[in-house]
Amino acid sequence: MSDLGPRVLIVDDEAGIRRFLRASLEAHRYLIHEAVTGEDALQVVPAFRPDLILLDLGLPGVGGKQVTSCLREWTQTPIIILSVQGDESAKIEALDAGADDYLTKPFGQGELLARIRAALRRVGQQDSGPVFVTGDLTVDLTGRAVRLGDEEVQLTPTEYSLLKAFVVHANKLLTHRQLVREVWGGAHYEDAQHLLRVNISNLRRKLETDPTRPHYIITEPGVGYRLRTEPRVSAAPSNA
Amino acid sequence: MQEDFPYDATPNLLSHLRADQYPVTRSKVSWKDRVLRFGDASTEKRWHGVLASLAIVGLITILGFRIETIIRSSNFAVLYMLAVIFSALRWGRRPAILCAVTGALSFTFFFVPPYRSFAVTDIWYLITLIGLLTVGLVISMLTVAAREDAKLARRREAHTAALYSFTESLASGNKFDQILDSVARHFPEVFRRPIVVLLSDAERVTVRFRSAELVFDECENEIASWVFENGEEAGCGTKTFSDSVIRYRPLKTGQGIVGVMGFQATSSKELLPPDQRELLGIFMNQTALAITRADLAQKAKRAEVLQEADKLQKALLNSVSHNLRTPLASVLGVLNTILEDRALLDAPTQESLLKTAQDEARRLDWLVQNLLDMTRLEGGAVRVKTEPCDVHDVVGAALHQLGEAAQSHPIAVTIAPDLPLVPMDNVLIVQVLVNVLDNALKYSPGDVPIDVEARLESGQLGIRVLDRGRGIPEQELERVFEKFFRGALPGAPKGAGLGLSICKGFVEAHNGRILAKRRAGGGTEFAFFLPMEAKRE
Repeated sequence: MSDLGPRVLIVDDEAGIRRFLRASLEAHRYLIHEAVTGEDALQVVPAFRPDLILLDLGLPGVGGKQVTSCLREWTQTPIIILSVQGDESAKIEALDAGADDYLTKPFGQGELLARIRAALRRVGQQDSGPVFVTGDLTVDLTGRAVRLGDEEVQLTPTEYSLLKAFVVHANKLLTHRQLVREVWGGAHYEDAQHLLRVNISNLRRKLETDPTRPHYIITEPGVGYRLRTEPRVSAAPSNA
Repeated sequence: MQEDFPYDATPNLLSHLRADQYPVTRSKVSWKDRVLRFGDASTEKRWHGVLASLAIVGLITILGFRIETIIRSSNFAVLYMLAVIFSALRWGRRPAILCAVTGALSFTFFFVPPYRSFAVTDIWYLITLIGLLTVGLVISMLTVAAREDAKLARRREAHTAALYSFTESLASGNKFDQILDSVARHFPEVFRRPIVVLLSDAERVTVRFRSAELVFDECENEIASWVFENGEEAGCGTKTFSDSVIRYRPLKTGQGIVGVMGFQATSSKELLPPDQRELLGIFMNQTALAITRADLAQKAKRAEVLQEADKLQKALLNSVSHNLRTPLASVLGVLNTILEDRALLDAPTQESLLKTAQDEARRLDWLVQNLLDMTRLEGGAVRVKTEPCDVHDVVGAALHQLGEAAQSHPIAVTIAPDLPLVPMDNVLIVQVLVNVLDNALKYSPGDVPIDVEARLESGQLGIRVLDRGRGIPEQELERVFEKFFRGALPGAPKGAGLGLSICKGFVEAHNGRILAKRRAGGGTEFAFFLPMEAKRE
């Protein structure tokens, strides 16, 4: 295996998990490097130059959140957090600190690969032009126009900035705090949270055919929202 | 010998027992009592009686002079005798004797010849005179005896009423607070003095009740501790710590000393009369017994909780050993088979085996999650983080989490269009919906739709999940929320009986409630209600 595929750094202190991740990813032609601790990871990243980092949240010593904030000081390499259920607040902290996405253990290989692909695509997509298209939804960022199929959708300025934040970070999981910061700037987080939910709800009503089973704007309970761009991830849910 | 209990200046128990509180006392007061009641022996009344008796004797004498011409003067003795009877009934012994003596003297002096002299010459007059005195004395003595009897009976009755009221109040509760409340109400009222109650608390006594006007400091505490340790009275009026103004008595039962009561003397001169001392003894015994009873009840309750925890632990062990090991066994079995006999198995067989292992492993994960949730609930570690949530969002997230199962089964969602944001912990309520829906999916045949409805119902958010499954028997509707409860019907899907009890825990952590009903036309309806105001932390 030479420099064929994207380079992925796996940071986890569990040998079993590292072995499973290495096996599944190498089978899909990713180039793997392993780190056991946070300190390891911080040392390895400049040398290995990964395209993506899979970072366990429950590391001994320097934790996942600290590793994320250290890395974010100098690199935008996508970071996917690996966590177990119950880590809710730690997970949100890591996401607020700049992690791109998370996976809850145990997860299936299909879901893992889908998340990695989405994160890598986002990096390549950054200059993809002023018009964003997914499914029936078209967002023209220069003309501030939103269309669903052939029909123009009328959005309030707030709804539009919210949608724009989603489009700019398409497929990325955005925490409530990040969205509030993006749309309302310095507004008080607690107050703006209510506004966020109302606007998400309105946005869904205008964009989704069934707001209860949203196709575009997906809720991550207790964490945030993401704009889904590819057809539904085929993997079965891992923890339901 | 110890001195008597100091008692203050209200010897009459009845005077402070309110008539409306003890109706028995009031209804039994006869005419006799009413007459006798005038004789209550206070100093003032006694003087009043003496003066009035003298006045009556005077009046009769004057009357005698007026009617001397009509009636023979020897008959006046009868009038004086009437006066003695009246005086005895009304004012008691001493005024009656006084009345008899002065009456006899007046009769002799004014109406027995020789007039204006105490000399008696006629033998008949002498007999009349002696009769007058004897009748006066006997009547007064009988009257007084009757009066004392009545007084005693009245007091007894009042004691009985007080005791009855006290024991009734004690019997009404098994908790320490209720007993202390009874003690605090009855003791000061009946014995008319401020009290302090100390109960044993791990080898020490601590103050559990104190009348506002009673001063209780470190020194007093030491005396109370001494009484508790030695089981003897101390304080005011005893030889130990006699300079205290409080008299301490131990609360004793057959098992030992359960506490100490202190009574503050308001005046050290007057003593508690013997019958009141007796009553106090009974009151204290009753209190001690009630406290022992409360103690036992508390211990029983604690044992019950322990037993409950023990039962839970056993059920948990059973459930864990069965529900964890079954899926684990199939996962291991599949892995072993594939590792050892890969060459013998064709691709589709291998695939189906692996699929089985995957399903079982997922079940295991689900169970572990439930066990963790349950442990968090039991340990009180569930924090409800309420934020205003869109119900569409919550239902959507639950459907998303259910994944394949929710995709392949028709689920009709109806959410009232005007539903505002509702404060709730998104993660917990999504979990509730997932568990309830999972349950409905498990029991619903093929393509019969499941309904999810959400709307405002009398100021609460009501979410209902309705299925057309085989339904839950009436008698099990309440029990489905119990831990490890599994329906009695055979052939039910596998499960540990945790999902719904977790739902109940999560909903109740929101101050909400959850219930199961039989759905009209067959099936089950699960409904939970959440308050529209955020729970205050």
